Amino acid sequence: MINPELVGVMIILIGMYGLLTKENLIKIVLSINVISIGLVLFFIGVGYVEGADVPIMPREKVVDPLPATLMLTTLVVDVAITSLALALILKMRREEE
Amino acid sequence: MIPLIVAFPIIMAFLTSILPALRREKFSKYLFLIGMLSSWIILPQIIKNLPFNEIVGNWSRISGIEVAVDNYNLPFIMAELILSAFVALYVYGNYYPKKIENKAYVLILLLHAGLLGAFISRDLFNYYIYMEIASVASFALVGISKEKGARRAAFKYAIFSLLASYIFILGIGIIYLKTGYLNLVLIKENLRMSREINVALTLAFTSLLLKSGIFPLHFWLPDAHSKADAPISALLSGLVVKAPAYGMILLTLTFPIGIFVQRTLLTLAFLSMFFGIAMAILQKNSERLLAYHTVSQMGYVLLGIALLNPLGAAYYALAHALFKGGLFLSVGTIAEHYNTRDLGKLSYRSSKPLAIAIILLSLAIGGISPFIGAFGKSKISEGLCGFLKYLLYLGGTGTLVSFTKLNYYLSKRKEKAEIPRKKTIIPLLLGILTLVGGIYLYSHFNILKDLTSIAIAFILFYLLKKLGVFEISTEAFIPEQFRSLGKEINAYMFLFTALLLLFLLNFL
Repeated sequence: MINPELVGVMIILIGMYGLLTKENLIKIVLSINVISIGLVLFFIGVGYVEGADVPIMPREKVVDPLPATLMLTTLVVDVAITSLALALILKMRREEE
Repeated sequence: MIPLIVAFPIIMAFLTSILPALRREKFSKYLFLIGMLSSWIILPQIIKNLPFNEIVGNWSRISGIEVAVDNYNLPFIMAELILSAFVALYVYGNYYPKKIENKAYVLILLLHAGLLGAFISRDLFNYYIYMEIASVASFALVGISKEKGARRAAFKYAIFSLLASYIFILGIGIIYLKTGYLNLVLIKENLRMSREINVALTLAFTSLLLKSGIFPLHFWLPDAHSKADAPISALLSGLVVKAPAYGMILLTLTFPIGIFVQRTLLTLAFLSMFFGIAMAILQKNSERLLAYHTVSQMGYVLLGIALLNPLGAAYYALAHALFKGGLFLSVGTIAEHYNTRDLGKLSYRSSKPLAIAIILLSLAIGGISPFIGAFGKSKISEGLCGFLKYLLYLGGTGTLVSFTKLNYYLSKRKEKAEIPRKKTIIPLLLGILTLVGGIYLYSHFNILKDLTSIAIAFILFYLLKKLGVFEISTEAFIPEQFRSLGKEINAYMFLFTALLLLFLLNFL
């Protein structure tokens, strides 16, 4: 039986594999992004309820909205870090030349 | 009430960041100072009714975010407020060149707000978010340093700190999945231990160990802390590594900690202590010496956590923040004016206040009795049995040896350097504060013991010098492949993964 939590953890492991083996700095930043995507999937899976509805209007059975909102915050952190890390790579390249 | 101490710095950070767009950049330093010092106004109110907890916006505990100030986090908050005020005064004015001044102020304000937010939070996710605000600001602050190689250090720091955060969040996710809450009080009420919770705790502890720079996961710390500018190093070493330590305290207060975790943390604490001292003794770069002492001192904080003595850990964190912040500021000031960080070329002969400050702070870090370091150590060593107590004593002597070396090099007469008065007064004030604070909190004198440990430290220093230990270069131990940053990150990542797997397998 495959569920989103399991797939999320697998994607995190793929990201960690990238950090273990890739030498290129941009690939390292991308591996960190892969880890964060896996994390988002894991959390969305945590909040999922089988057969439930969107948590917008009061309904009988809705999915848990909290993990999704938490992940919005994590995505923001991820965007900030990615741009910062790429800027640092650019600076390092310029220093080397 | 409590959230306000975080709200002011964040609002000021926002206002400061829009000033360049309004062409009013010259006001940024005033807003910066207001933001850094405004939290002091609310502090008396909070201290008056301690312990104090509050749900932001008066929601119920289930749907709101809880913040609190009590005995466990008051030392952290005090350390944050005191050290950040001193650093703010040090940076205020003309420390940064005009071009990056505004940005540096915004980043320091965000760092300040993030740390305060992390220290008051009682909600796991809120704690993570604020710690992340502080970390992102600190990566950028390391990156803007003038030092060569700072970008490389900042990149390594960013990657590993971010990895640690994601692993920590995975742990929080598992805890949420099993208990249904993120609030620590509610988690404690609804907790039923299971294998999943154990996995979550292992993930959380390993990632926090990486973030707080405990041996063997310390590899990013000496680079990041030694390449940053002096006031930033003071903030990083004094405060930023304490946020994950506070996270560990929160976890130990909420979850029952098994004997295996306790033993592991205890071993890591002692390893970290002695490894940090050994590496510090070998350093020739003044800032790297201090950075390795952070690894060693974080071992003491971890020791308090491992002995389930959170108060001891918190007070040691306060003591460490004060003296390490002061040391980085004072040694950094000298290094900046000689324009080198080579210990052999620096001297404090040309500035009396700095000389007094460094000697006071060196005694404080060595745990000599009326200073605040002795207070921290006495708190930590409560509940420590015979053999380990001697190890702790040995650690203190090792620290003194290393600082004898620092003072020995600095006290040699070298060419003069003009050091502005303001930059010498602030470290001196911090040095006096470690003495006054120590007398206020713990007025025990133990002259005989202190004099013997100083004498032993002098003799050991002399012996090590005769043996030529200080001539050994640590550069030779770094493998050739580590020239490439990618390879270095791969190798350290391997270390982290191996340790994580080891803990997971042992814990299941």
